[in-house]
Amino acid sequence: MKKISVEHLARVEGSGGITATIDGKVVTDVKFTINEGPRLVERLTVGKTPEEDVNLVPRICAICTLSHKYAAIRAMENALSVKVPTKVHLFRELMHLGEMIESHSLHVYYLALPDYVGFPNAIAMASQFDLEVKIALEMKEFGNHIMKTASGRYIHGENPVIGGFGKFPTKEELLWIKSRAIQFMPFVLKTVNLFCELDYPDCPEDNTVYACCNPPKNKYGFTGDEIILSTGATINKEDYKSLTNEFVVSHSYAKRSRYQGKPYSVGALARVNNLGERLKGKAGKMYSKYFGPRWKRNPLFNNAAQALEILYTFERIPRLLDELLKYPEDPPLVKYSAKKGKGTGIVEAPRGLLIHSYEVAEGLVSHTDIITPTAQNAEDIERYCYIAAQRLLENRKEDKIRDRMDLVVRAFDPCISCSAHLAEVKKAPQDDWKEKLEEVKKKGSPIYVGVGKRTRSDDGLGIELALKLRNRGISDVWLEHEIAQRGGPWKNKHHRPLVFLDAVDFREEPGKIVLLPLHYVFSNTNLSHKLLPFISGEMHYERLKNSYVLGIQPESVQEGKKMSKPVRLSMAKVLVQIVN
Amino acid sequence: MEKDKKEKLKIGIYELTGCAGDALLILDCEKELLDIFNAADIHSFLMAKSDNIDGELDIAFVEGSVSTEKEKKELLDLRKRAKVVVAIGICACFGGIQAAFQSQEEWRKNFKAVYGDVKMTHTKPVQSKPIDSYIKVDYYLPGCPIGKEQFLSTFNRILRGNPPELYRFPVCVECKWNENDCLLNKGIPCLGPITSAGCSSVCINHNLPCVGCWGPLEGANLSSEFQLLRDYGFDHDFIKKKMANFSGTGMADFLGKIEGDKK
Repeated sequence: MKKISVEHLARVEGSGGITATIDGKVVTDVKFTINEGPRLVERLTVGKTPEEDVNLVPRICAICTLSHKYAAIRAMENALSVKVPTKVHLFRELMHLGEMIESHSLHVYYLALPDYVGFPNAIAMASQFDLEVKIALEMKEFGNHIMKTASGRYIHGENPVIGGFGKFPTKEELLWIKSRAIQFMPFVLKTVNLFCELDYPDCPEDNTVYACCNPPKNKYGFTGDEIILSTGATINKEDYKSLTNEFVVSHSYAKRSRYQGKPYSVGALARVNNLGERLKGKAGKMYSKYFGPRWKRNPLFNNAAQALEILYTFERIPRLLDELLKYPEDPPLVKYSAKKGKGTGIVEAPRGLLIHSYEVAEGLVSHTDIITPTAQNAEDIERYCYIAAQRLLENRKEDKIRDRMDLVVRAFDPCISCSAHLAEVKKAPQDDWKEKLEEVKKKGSPIYVGVGKRTRSDDGLGIELALKLRNRGISDVWLEHEIAQRGGPWKNKHHRPLVFLDAVDFREEPGKIVLLPLHYVFSNTNLSHKLLPFISGEMHYERLKNSYVLGIQPESVQEGKKMSKPVRLSMAKVLVQIVN
Repeated sequence: MEKDKKEKLKIGIYELTGCAGDALLILDCEKELLDIFNAADIHSFLMAKSDNIDGELDIAFVEGSVSTEKEKKELLDLRKRAKVVVAIGICACFGGIQAAFQSQEEWRKNFKAVYGDVKMTHTKPVQSKPIDSYIKVDYYLPGCPIGKEQFLSTFNRILRGNPPELYRFPVCVECKWNENDCLLNKGIPCLGPITSAGCSSVCINHNLPCVGCWGPLEGANLSSEFQLLRDYGFDHDFIKKKMANFSGTGMADFLGKIEGDKK
């Protein structure tokens, strides 16, 4: 594997990578892998007290430590019916804003900016952006300072607990934070201009669904009791599974999520897309000035969204502190007596929606479910990288694929313990489809579906192949029109792979054979596919995940013409491979 | 100035499975970071730099526990390359929170509960263990995460060829320095007496009990703490689990010894 320059990737923790496999003019595979070992946090918290759980779960991730703590506390307080006073809510918000500043300032300046201004890393960038690099570091330190004030330590502070805080800071400490926040404002405004005016490449662009917390009272913010989607739908936090639908893939210890069978995105861009209209003050003005339709389709705009959120945060802090200072009395911890309950807590970690859900029985945790933002973004990270790689390949810019995928992954601000040191481009060996087909067969005996129109020359290859397979005694072979009449043959056979046989235009030499995951065909506007609207409406995500297209490049699809020779030869090869 | 002429020591900082908090803390030593990079040749530090070299090392700092076959192999290789290996953070020293499952069988059962029957194609998982389960460790620097002062002093001493001087007393000593009221006296289950100092008793300073995140102190009177908590009416299993929350298999030996107290 080739290594990319990671000096500016300080704070991408753990080890992972993104790999694209290229076969001629087609990207046949994109995998976002996470090498971090399994920690089984959801299991090891079972049998612990709710307090112990709140001590343990922030250790999932040193960067989002307070978001994890906050989500766990909210979930536990829901489960155990603990109501905390206003001062506690306000102070928790402050601690959360500290983490937002720390994470966002680091990500936009140290991680993302060097790519856009043509430097390999932040240290090299300092020669031209001396002031930015220095003040960004101070801004990050300010975020750290708030985190320490609220939690007791830079990392894994234990001060926030179920029922409140062990200790509140003094008035002087709060006033210092307020005055420091105001001092940063000129630099914060400069930050927004800088990141909203960057020239973000238009590849990859595609629609997706954005999800984030829906803060109450029509406000912008980072917590809530329901999830709001860019489709306008809202989901109660207790029904989060209808959004996430977690599943396991074999190339990562981080689980994956899909909404209604499709990847979705979380993070700063999701929040600005879904809640941006609610921004007020300077952040509202900047939103009106810069927000546009490309923000809805291009993950690279996440950096612009993060800059807007830095502004929101710095505007919010002085007002929040004024409110906090209205409560001079430090409330004691709220005691509770509940020994059982069920509850979910959702917050926005800097990199997106974070869900903790627990069941408590006899005073001990009996079930834990934690869904991290990077796990939710993983499918969209792969999809956008696929779109970028395929587009660049078509435009004969293969040499740019690696850097662009790196840029895309980084824009999502992934966090592996909860990601990507390495981007790699692999060339598929010839006849890569054979190996892949064998892998598919290992998953279970495939169901084949022939697709196409026999009168239109090479377009008839899917149907021809299917008929030949039937003649050879292969069971569970279907034709397109049979499905249209009787519904999908995949019902109750989720474990068995589904392979569509079809003519697919890869703009390759006629006869070229490629095996692709079906969802790549969805993401690729160039690959024509008649069955798609029907299939996408019908299929469950588990089904989709285990479906493929075995495509052959046609020479011609003219009505009335005979099938071409290269396609005939390829069909014979496919037939042999399937039957053996 | 003579020292500058001497060849600088080659140092590597490595991350196995964990939260990366210890490496992050080293990066958070913003003001001292440049001095660290100047004082030694940093050959490998994946979180901070790209041009990492996998050669002979004078000192290797290792964070995280061993959780995959790949990590195990890398660690064994690292031991061959490094003259001194320092375990940093509770995961490397004791296994950390992910070493909660004591037996192989229990771990397998729980692994299956999370990942089902999917066969992992990239690297084989293993039960999480501290690094000294596989290699000889020269020094241990506890913490969750490690403390800045202790890291800098340890770094300095090892750099000059001296063994680190860590606090050989429990959190209670720091707690007294900070003039806190004893929470155990109030019947609150605090693990201060059995936990290594170095955190400046941060939790008790915030009126909260020590959770034991720096791991057990060598030679601490564990049985006495156990009895004290029993006298306060806490359940045997509760105490046992609480003590092992952060140190996992590192606590296993001791837990075996107190099994006899169950009645």
